[in-house]
Parts: sequence; structure tokens; C-alpha cells
Amino acid sequence: MAAGGDAGSFFHPMDQFVVKSLFGGGEVTSPISLTNSTLWTAIVIVVIALITITGTRQRALVPTRTQSVAEMMYIFVRQMVEDVAGEGAIKYFPYIFTLFMFVLFANLLGMVPMSFTVTSHIAVTVFLALSVFVTVTIIGFIKHGLHFLEFFWPKDAPGWLRPILAIIEVISYMVRPVSHSIRLGANMMAGHAVLKVFAGLVALTLAGGLGPVAVLPLAAMVGITAFEILVAVIQAYIFAVLTCVYLHDALHMH
Amino acid sequence: MDDRERSTGPGGGATGDLAKRIAAARHAANPPSRRRMVGSMRGWELAFRMVLELLVGIAIGGFLGFAVDWLLGSLPAFTLIFGLLGFAAGVRVMLRSAEELNRRSDAGDRPDPSTPPDARRPGASSGDGG
Repeated sequence: MAAGGDAGSFFHPMDQFVVKSLFGGGEVTSPISLTNSTLWTAIVIVVIALITITGTRQRALVPTRTQSVAEMMYIFVRQMVEDVAGEGAIKYFPYIFTLFMFVLFANLLGMVPMSFTVTSHIAVTVFLALSVFVTVTIIGFIKHGLHFLEFFWPKDAPGWLRPILAIIEVISYMVRPVSHSIRLGANMMAGHAVLKVFAGLVALTLAGGLGPVAVLPLAAMVGITAFEILVAVIQAYIFAVLTCVYLHDALHMH
Repeated sequence: MDDRERSTGPGGGATGDLAKRIAAARHAANPPSRRRMVGSMRGWELAFRMVLELLVGIAIGGFLGFAVDWLLGSLPAFTLIFGLLGFAAGVRVMLRSAEELNRRSDAGDRPDPSTPPDARRPGASSGDGG
């Protein structure tokens, strides 16, 4: 019963998502302050730069391990851009590669214990998705001019139905950035929260004097950790694939 | 690109069967069970995605309708109409996701270099000429 009173102290699954200021007692007081989110965004960027820039610096014919990792990711994303968005989209490969690497490493570094998952915050993913949305729309208008609006105008539908279908098309175009961002943010947040809940269960069982039983939630944690790493990679992949799909729509308009 | 294709082409000497050996090694390192796990993960992800798209469609439609109602002071009318249109939009996006999956699984039917053909479809003996 005594342990029951302390139960609340183990369950703080959402605490890991709190944005804290690095200096001055953790309170975020000004809109411009260095927070744990800032720190981990910077770490993500530094790690990506280390792997891609310093890894490929020697440009060896027989690559080192780091160079081979960088090359594999490059080839993987390039292949994806070619397959999904088409040949003409290669111009935009750097943008998609940057997005993929950022999401991938933000997700993966979020798996490091005590770290902060940048992509678990809707604010971050909404920014990423909106930047894709705006970029793709601008590309569409630059490529096709005002003809891009025909993308929303179903030509082969009966006349009276067209305005209604056009509204539906516009709404479904607006669904994209929302689902694009919520999917990534929700997946990362849900997984990490579940992980923390099971960690709390381990602590609770131990505190309750049921020592050996703690193996069960611990085993579940191992499984969920593996699953989370899979989710981290797949979500990064999906984010990049969807960007390619949207780009394909803007370039080819169907 | 050209270099790579030339080196793996027929009669490439020492590298002639390199592609085959790489494929075999890759297959050994990536057993079908693991592929299945990633496959089911994709299905789960797709289900989540479709539900999300449907809900977001309704939400955006409803929101737009509510905005129009707020401007015109005709409260339930446009919220309902746009909510239904949003539902249709959600279904449309959902169907597109399904279509895209179909397209990708069609594309996946061509022989995958990372899997020996005999291991890919244990039951199929004919009709797999591609």
C-alpha cells in the first residue's frame, strides 16, 4: 500500500517531451532561448554533417565504414526520388535528402536514453510538412503557371458536379500537410510514451517488492525498443516518400 | 552508372558472378521472416495513415464550413455540407493511398535482385516469366 501511494512518482510518460531551457533553471521565459530541443536539433545536424561531410572527405574507391554508410543513404534516397517522383525530380534531390536525413537522425537519436526527440513535437513536424507543402505548391505554379489550378478541376466529370469535386480536391490537397505532420509527430510521441510507461511499470514492480515479476515489463521494453527503432526508420522513409509523391503530383499534375 | 553496369555485365571476368554472390549474401543476411515483419509494419502504418487522412479530411472540411458559417451567421448549414465534402475528400485521399500501395506492389513484382527467384515464390512455377 505504501508503494501505491508513490505510484504517481514513477509514471511521468510525458515528461520527456517537456521543452526546458538549458540555462536559468529550466523555465522557458523568452521566445528566443536555448532549450533541450535546440540542443538536440543541433546534435542531429552535427551528426549528419559528421557522417556525410567528413565521412566522404577522402572519397576513397574502397570506402571506409562511415563513407559507405553515407553512400548507402545517398543511393537509397536517390533511387527513391527517381522511382517515386520521376527523372525530372532529381533536381530536388538535395532537399529530399536533407529532409530524410534530418527526420531519420532526429528519430534515431531520440532513441538514445535521456535524449530529446525533436520530431515528437508537432511544432517541428508541422514546420517540415508545411515547408514541403509550400515548396511543392510553388514548384507546381512555376512549372505550370496558372494551369496548375487545373489540378483541382476535374475535367472528365459532368459539368454540374465539377465545382463540388473541385472543393473536394482542394480539401484533399489541404489534408496532405496535416496528415503528413501528425503522422510523424504522433508516431514518435506515442512510441516514446509507451516505452516510458513500461519503464515506470518496471520501477513500480520493483518498489512493490515483486522483484522477479519486473522481468515481464522489462522484456516488453526490449521488444518495444526494437520496434521503435524500426518505426523511427520507417517514419523517416515514409516522410521522404510522401514528399516525393507530392512532388510528382506537382511536376506531372496527376 | 555505366561503369557499374559494365562491371556486372555478362563475361565480366572475375566480377562475372559477383552480382549473384552479393544477392546470395544479402538474402542470407535478410531472411524472409524479417521481411515479413517489415511488411506487416507497413500494413499497420498504412492503416494508421488512412484513418488519419479520413479524420483530417472531415476536420478540415468541418473547419472550413464553420468559418463560412461564422462569416454568414448560418451556423449549422455549411459546417454540415463542408463536413460531408471533407469526408469525401478524406475518402479520396485514402483511396489514393491504397492505389499507390497497389502500384508499388505491382512494381515490386519484378524480380528483386536481392532475392534469388526460387526463394521468392515457393509455390509459383509458371507465370513468373518476368
